[in-house]
Amino acid sequence: MRKFLNVVIAIALSGFAFSANAQEAANLDELLEIVRQGKVNESAEFRQREQEFRNNQAQQQQLLADANASQRAEERRSDQLEAQFAANDDQLAALETEFTNELGALKEVLGVLTMVAGDARSQMEQSLTTTQFEGRDEFITSLIEKTSSGTQLPSIEEIERLWFEVQREMTEQGRVVTFDRSVKMTDGSEETLPVTRIGVFNIATAGKYLKFEQGLVAELDRQPEARFVESTAALQGASSGVAPFGVDPSRGSILALLIQAPSLRERVDFGGTIGYLILGVGAIGILLWIERVIYLTAISGKVKAQIKSDVVNENNPLGRILAVHEANKGADVETLELKIDEAILKEMPPLERFLTMIKLISAIAPLMGLLGTVTGMINTFQSMTLFGTGDPKLMAGGISQALVTTVLGIVVALPTLFLHSIVNGMSQRVVHTLEEQSAGIIAVHAEQNKGA
Amino acid sequence: MYALIDIFEQVRDFMEKGGPVLVVIFVAILVLWAMVLERLIYFKTGHNRQVNEVMGTWEGRDERTSWYAHKIREAMISQITMDLRGSLGHIKTLVAVIPLMGLLGTVWGMIEVFDVLAVLGSADVKAMSAGISKATIPTMAGMVGALSGVFASSYIEGRVNKEAELVEDHLTMDH
Repeated sequence: MRKFLNVVIAIALSGFAFSANAQEAANLDELLEIVRQGKVNESAEFRQREQEFRNNQAQQQQLLADANASQRAEERRSDQLEAQFAANDDQLAALETEFTNELGALKEVLGVLTMVAGDARSQMEQSLTTTQFEGRDEFITSLIEKTSSGTQLPSIEEIERLWFEVQREMTEQGRVVTFDRSVKMTDGSEETLPVTRIGVFNIATAGKYLKFEQGLVAELDRQPEARFVESTAALQGASSGVAPFGVDPSRGSILALLIQAPSLRERVDFGGTIGYLILGVGAIGILLWIERVIYLTAISGKVKAQIKSDVVNENNPLGRILAVHEANKGADVETLELKIDEAILKEMPPLERFLTMIKLISAIAPLMGLLGTVTGMINTFQSMTLFGTGDPKLMAGGISQALVTTVLGIVVALPTLFLHSIVNGMSQRVVHTLEEQSAGIIAVHAEQNKGA
Repeated sequence: MYALIDIFEQVRDFMEKGGPVLVVIFVAILVLWAMVLERLIYFKTGHNRQVNEVMGTWEGRDERTSWYAHKIREAMISQITMDLRGSLGHIKTLVAVIPLMGLLGTVWGMIEVFDVLAVLGSADVKAMSAGISKATIPTMAGMVGALSGVFASSYIEGRVNKEAELVEDHLTMDH
């Protein structure tokens, strides 16, 4: 559409131009005919420009001659300069030979100096002593520039300072020193703290391990076990003698790996929905357990009190069974036994309520963990189909997620299993008392009444 | 003195290698053996006292043939058996639970192994060894604890049954 529009506009414009300078064309067909016959005449303007050019022809000749003359002059100058350049080159080579001769053994000395300074610089960049002595890096860099430039010579003072710096590095590597330095904390603020440097192995402040990265001393985001963290304070407090300290012999790289390990909270999050479901089921189990403990403690206390007292109290199962006996005093022994059995059966359900539920939870939790593991493995295999088996990192992430649900399942099952055994024991005690001893207690009561 | 410190440090290093699960297993085994010991002591002291008391009451009765007498005898035996069993249920549960704790440690250790894999991206055996020892040490500890507990719990159970039968035999009935 746009192209078509452009064509129309172009035709319209050309039509306008022709209408001004040439014969008029009434319509497009006529215009086409005119063009075909070459009847479009040159305009007056064209003719005028041609005329002007012809008039100025002499002047153009003059300009051409001038340009040729100046080219020849410049070529001569270029030859001259080239000759001078070659002469200078020869002179330069001669001077350089002279310079090398003059330098002699000093050249080798400078080479060694550059090498030593380079080694020292790369050593000191990594070294923890840099936290204590700042500015030596700039010195060594300027020294290397000087010795390798070929135009400057280092002074005796500078060479001696390099010696001093290397010697100091050696001495300081074997020292435990405390000094003040600004430390970047994990919340981003900077504080000036007394920092203890243990050789070139670790730096620490009281209660915290520090790290040295890109010229910055910063607090480690995660600290190791409390036993090691406490040793930092002990070391800083010590003035003489031997102080124990947890040293990271890898110069901080083991400590740096601590950050990689996820925290407990992050691990639980790995478990996903199924992980939280397992924890929820576990919470229900513990709530049921608490209800059972309170109920059974109260009941067994009342039953014990009932065993000791002679008065029948109907607020407990044993009391209610004894009440059956009281109500059927006249009945013969066999009827009484049947009545008592019936009363015992009635008391059972509230004593055993929720126990199977708690047991069930302890059985279900590991199964749910297994479910989570399988879904995790499905994810792992999905990433394997997508990215292939080349990168163990991708697979390992999925597998460790899969295992978290198994862990959660066992973590819920273990305590529930044990808690179940506790309440089951309490409940069985009361049940046994009712089943096996209630008749005996009734007999004791009956005999006492008979005797009295 | 130094030998003691040495032993303490070895145990501490062992516990640290095994991770937090090993501490839980250690506590569980301690509780298990405390309960086993408590039972053994009870068999020697509290149980004998109780049997003597019950025997005295039973022998002191004027008649031992009526329905009432039989029910009272049953109740006595039941009480003695219940006291004999005591924490046997908990001991059995612990014996069943401790290997499960070992399994928990295994899975925990495997997670660490895979964490290392995820970070390093290669099967560096040295880097994984911490996770592997966290996986294997609790399993071993759980097995050892459970095995020792199995013997103890089956001995206690046998002893309970034997003592209960003995009491039953002692409480003679006049037909």
